[in-house]
Amino acid sequence: MNIHTYERLWIVGAMVLIVGFIATITYGSVGLGITMIDDEEETLAPDEIGEDERFADPRVEQVGEDEYAAYVVAQTFVFQPDPIEIPADSEVTFYVTSRDVIHSFTVVGTNTNTMVIPGEVATMTVEFDEPGEYGVICNEYCGAGHHDMEGELTVVEAEEFDLTDLAVDAPDEVEPGEEVELTATVENGLLEEVETTLTVEIGEETIEEEVVVEGGTSEEITTSVDADDLGEGDHDWTVEVDDESDGGTVTVGTDDGGDES
Amino acid sequence: MSELFVEKYPEQARLIRLAFTASFIALGVGAVFGLLQALHRTDILRIVESPTYYTLLTGHGVFLVVTFTIFFLVGLYQWAVTDSLDRGPVDPRVTWTWYGLMSAGTIITAVTILAGFLGDPPEVLGSELSADVLFTFYAPLQANPLFYVGLVVFVVGTWLAGADWFRTWLAWSRDNPDERIPLPTFMVLTTMIMWYISSIGVAIAILAFILPWSLALTESLNPTLTRTLFWYFGHAFVYFWLLPAYLLWYIVLPKLSGGRLFSDPLARVVFILFVLLSTPVGIHHQYLDPGISEGFKFIAMTNTMFLLLPSLLTAFTVVASMEHGARQRGGEGTFNWLRALPWRDPAFTGMALAGIVFAFGGFTGIVNAGMNINYLVHNSVWIPGHIHTQVGTAVALTLMAGSYWLVPQLTGNRLVNRQAGLVQVVLWFLGIVFMTNSMYRAGLFGVPRRTAEPEYSFEYDIGVGSMAELNVQLALGGTLLFVSAMLFLGIMLLTAFNDDTEPLVDGTIPPALSGPEDSPPVLDNLRLWIAIALVLVVIAYIIPLASIVDRGGLFGPDIGPFPVFVQITDAIPTVFYSLGALIA
Repeated sequence: MNIHTYERLWIVGAMVLIVGFIATITYGSVGLGITMIDDEEETLAPDEIGEDERFADPRVEQVGEDEYAAYVVAQTFVFQPDPIEIPADSEVTFYVTSRDVIHSFTVVGTNTNTMVIPGEVATMTVEFDEPGEYGVICNEYCGAGHHDMEGELTVVEAEEFDLTDLAVDAPDEVEPGEEVELTATVENGLLEEVETTLTVEIGEETIEEEVVVEGGTSEEITTSVDADDLGEGDHDWTVEVDDESDGGTVTVGTDDGGDES
Repeated sequence: MSELFVEKYPEQARLIRLAFTASFIALGVGAVFGLLQALHRTDILRIVESPTYYTLLTGHGVFLVVTFTIFFLVGLYQWAVTDSLDRGPVDPRVTWTWYGLMSAGTIITAVTILAGFLGDPPEVLGSELSADVLFTFYAPLQANPLFYVGLVVFVVGTWLAGADWFRTWLAWSRDNPDERIPLPTFMVLTTMIMWYISSIGVAIAILAFILPWSLALTESLNPTLTRTLFWYFGHAFVYFWLLPAYLLWYIVLPKLSGGRLFSDPLARVVFILFVLLSTPVGIHHQYLDPGISEGFKFIAMTNTMFLLLPSLLTAFTVVASMEHGARQRGGEGTFNWLRALPWRDPAFTGMALAGIVFAFGGFTGIVNAGMNINYLVHNSVWIPGHIHTQVGTAVALTLMAGSYWLVPQLTGNRLVNRQAGLVQVVLWFLGIVFMTNSMYRAGLFGVPRRTAEPEYSFEYDIGVGSMAELNVQLALGGTLLFVSAMLFLGIMLLTAFNDDTEPLVDGTIPPALSGPEDSPPVLDNLRLWIAIALVLVVIAYIIPLASIVDRGGLFGPDIGPFPVFVQITDAIPTVFYSLGALIA
C-alpha cells in the first residue's frame, strides 16, 4: 500500500497522541485513584427500598473515624434526605438509589456526579475540603417536573458536625401543686462520645444541663419545675441541644378556655 | 460537462428529491423547536409551560438526529451508489418500499410526539398518546407504544435500503467481476454494515423489552439492560450521522477545491475502522452508570481513543486534498494557498467551515471520552455543546453545503442566489460558535443539559463572565442558527421551482491522486471486516451484558412504567363490559 511520507508521519503522531491520552487516563485511575462508579452493590428493587435498612430511613451515618455513609433516595422530583449534612475533610460514601425512573445525583460545581438507576445502588466516596452549601440536582431528564428536582448538601466543619437527635416527653396538663417533668432523650449517632449542653426553657425559667453521651447510644435527662412556680395557665417550653430543638405547651390547672381544642 | 444526474437517472433523482424533501421538512420543524428551546432555557421568552418543553425537546431530537440526518443519508447514498456504479437498482419497487416504510415510521412517531402539545391527548392502545421521552427513550420512562412502533418501521426501512444497495452492488460486480468497489459505493456498503451490526441492539431493546412492556404484555424490565442495549447502538448511530458528511468530504470537497482526493486507500481504511470500532465503545456513554464494572468502562475508553485515528486520518486527507486543489488553481506558499480556494462557493465554504468545527468537536469529544474527566461534564450542557458542534454543524452544515452542489443535479435547476447561500453557511458558523461557546463554558460550571429551567435556588459559580452573559450568547447563537436554517430552506424551495434554467454544476468526480490500484485488495474483503467487527463486539459486550442480566434479571427487579398509564389488561374487561351493556 502506497502511503505518502507526510501521511506516515501523521499516522505515527496520531498513534502517539492516542496512546498518550490512554496513559493520562490510566494515571488518573491508578495513580490518583479516581475510581469509576462500579457494580459493587447488589441490585435493589424499588419496592424493596422500604424494607432495606439503608434506605428505609435515608440519612447520614458515621461508619468509622472520619468516615461517613450517606444513604440517599432519588424519586420524582425530590431527594431524601434534604438537606444532606456531612462533615468536611472526611470520607463520605454516598449510596444512591431510585424509587422510580432514572435520575442523577449531582453536586453542582464538584465532580460528585452519578447516574441513579432504579434497581441499582450507585456508590461513590468523596471528600469535601470546603465547608459550604452546595446545590444538588438531577441532570437526567426524569419527567415533567425534572427542572424542579433539587436538593441541598451542607458541608460543615468536621468539629462542628454532629449526628445528635432529640426527643422530648412532656405532659400536656399538670395539676397545681405537682411537678412539671420534661424527659429529653439525646441520641448520639457519632461513634465518639459527645459532650454538650441541654437547655430547657419553660415559663420564665432556664435550666442548663451538661450532657455526655457515649457514641452510638442515647441518654435520658429529666428536668422538673414546680407547677406552682409557673402559676396557673399555659406555659411554652423549649428544649435545645446542638442544632436540635423541640417545644410545646403545658397547662397548669384545669383547662378552662385555653387554646387546646 | 457531463450529463446531469436527473437526465441520466430520472427515477433515482425523483426518489432522492423526495428523501431530501422529508429531510428538509424535519430540519424546518426541528429548527423551530430548537429556537423555542434556546429562548425558553435562557428565560428570554417562554411561550409553552415548562413541562411542554420536554415535548419540544423530544421533537427536536427525533426530527433532527433521526429524520433529518437519515433521510438525507438515504438520498445521498442512493445518489452515491447510482452514480458510482453507473446503474440503477435491480428492482425499483424495493427502493420505493423502503422509502415508504421510512416515511410511514416517521409519521407514526411524529404523531405520538406532537400529540404531547394537546391539552388532553386521546387514549390509544391503552395509554395516553404522548411520547415525552426524548430521543434516548430511557425506560422506565414510557411513551405510547406507537412511538416505538414508528421507530421500528423506520429502522426496518433503513435495513431494506441497505439490502437494496448491496443488491445493486452485487448485480454490478457480476457485470464487472475484476473491478474494485468504487469508493463511494464502498463507503455506502461499509456504513450499512456498521448500521446492521449496531442497530440490532436497539431493535432487541425495543422488540424484546420496551414495546411489550409499553403494551403491558410484560410487567417489568431491566433499565440497565435496555439502556446498555441503546448505547450499544448509540455511538454507531452517531457515526451513522457522520459518515454521509465524510462521504461528501472525501468525494465532493476535493473536487470543489479544484483538485482530487489525496488517497483512495486511506479513505477505505478509515471506513473500515468505523466498521470495526464504532460499536464496541458504547459503554463510554455509561461511565457514570452503576451496575457496570470499571473494567468494562476502561475497555470502552481505550477503544474510543483508537476511534480518534480514523478522524485524524480524515483531517489529513481532507486538508491535503484541499491544498492540492488550491495549488491546481494557482495557490502558492506555505499557507498562502488557502487564498486560492473557492471561498465564494457556498458548497465549498460550508464544508470547510464544518470541517473546522468538527476539529473542535473532536477535542471536546476527547474530553468526554476521558473516563475520569467525565465526572465533571457528564450530562452537563457541555454535552449538547459537543453534539451541536458534531451532528449540529460538522454533519448538518456539510449536508446543507452538499445540497448546494447536489440539488441542482437532482432537479436540473440552477441554484438560486449563491450569495445568499454563502451568507447562510457563514451565519450557521457564527451561530454555532456563540451557542456552543455558551454551552461548553456553562457545562464546566455544572449547568445541566435537558432541562426547561437550568437555574435553581443556588447560584452557579461561573468563573469568568456571568450566567446572564452565557444566556445571551446561547439565545443569540440559537437565533442565528434558526435564521440560517430558514434561509437554507428558502433557497432550496426557490431552487426546486427555478425551472427554465441550466444548472452551473459539473457532476463528474475526478479520480484520486493515489487510486484504488494502490490499495491492497484485502480492503474490499467485506466478509473479513464483518467477521472481525463481530468478534470485537462480542469481546466488548458479551460479558457486560451477561453480568447485567445476571445481576438484575432479564426483565429486571420489578420496574413499573412511568408515567403510570391505565394498563391495557385492565382496560379490556371494561371494554367488554361496555359492549355487553350496549348490546343488552
